[in-house]
Amino acid sequence: MADKRVAIIAGNGALDDAYKILNIASAAAATDAEVSIFFTFEGLNIIHRQNHQHLQMGSGKEHFVQGFKRAHVPSIGEILEIARESGVQMIACQMTMDVMGLKKEELIDGVEVGGAATFLDFAYDADITLTF
Amino acid sequence: MSAYKVDHKLDCKGLSCPMPIVKTRKAIQEILPGEVLEVEATDKGSLADIKSWAERTGHQYLGSTEEDGVLHHFLRKASEGEEQEEKKYPHVISLDEVKSRYKEAGVQLVDVREPMEYAFGHIPGAISIPMGEMGERFGELDSNREIWVICRSGSRSDHACQLLAEKGFPTVKNVVPGMKDWDGETETN
Repeated sequence: MADKRVAIIAGNGALDDAYKILNIASAAAATDAEVSIFFTFEGLNIIHRQNHQHLQMGSGKEHFVQGFKRAHVPSIGEILEIARESGVQMIACQMTMDVMGLKKEELIDGVEVGGAATFLDFAYDADITLTF
Repeated sequence: MSAYKVDHKLDCKGLSCPMPIVKTRKAIQEILPGEVLEVEATDKGSLADIKSWAERTGHQYLGSTEEDGVLHHFLRKASEGEEQEEKKYPHVISLDEVKSRYKEAGVQLVDVREPMEYAFGHIPGAISIPMGEMGERFGELDSNREIWVICRSGSRSDHACQLLAEKGFPTVKNVVPGMKDWDGETETN
């Protein structure tokens, strides 16, 4: 029943952003939806090999840290793995990578690099588009 | 819950959203159609999540129980084409007619779903004989009364009707589609 498409734009890279993006993406994939995430600007941190392990809560949201521990929330690494396993497509924005001087090798495995058109190609037929 | 036949168990205790449904999806891919999966979870949100996940993916949500802060969700894996009504057995009866007549004395309503499906909600007074046991237990039915057979979608009850007709029961009717669209009274256990 892959009848729904969810297109997500990840333009922010704080820890809470990462959770919002990846939780919705993996839940959608578990519900048999096709999911594509376009990572741009700070969003690229989430799929950066090292940076994703050190994401910080957004400013003013530091008080969530304890709660996250208490609620046994999986790590970003774990949930990235789940998203990838369940077929979530991840696209890194070429333009932002150039601006930030990032190379594809610095990103986690399974990420495609593309421009806005690559994402739009998917998003044009999406049932839901979310921006974070 | 020990009386219920559970084929597979999945432990999601201590996991938060979206892990219970992510794991449930994986587990259900690995089991056979018709098998029952029990998901144990402590995430309160899983109650609503599992239900809507099942609706969306076409699997059958049987129900949930809670014991000592642990939720037990029961799901039955759908088989392909299960949602399509089979109507090989010619004598059928609609849910509307069942609703207006099932309390009549001349009627025996037989529910051929699995014991757990029955336990989580059946039409009051319906007799439980799971399809798999019908071959040995049809003798419990009274051939002088009408027999109406119901399941979830009309497919298992179709087979049961054919079997009962073969065994010589004169008035057997298949209730279509079945419990999945029943909006009348139900009782549990």
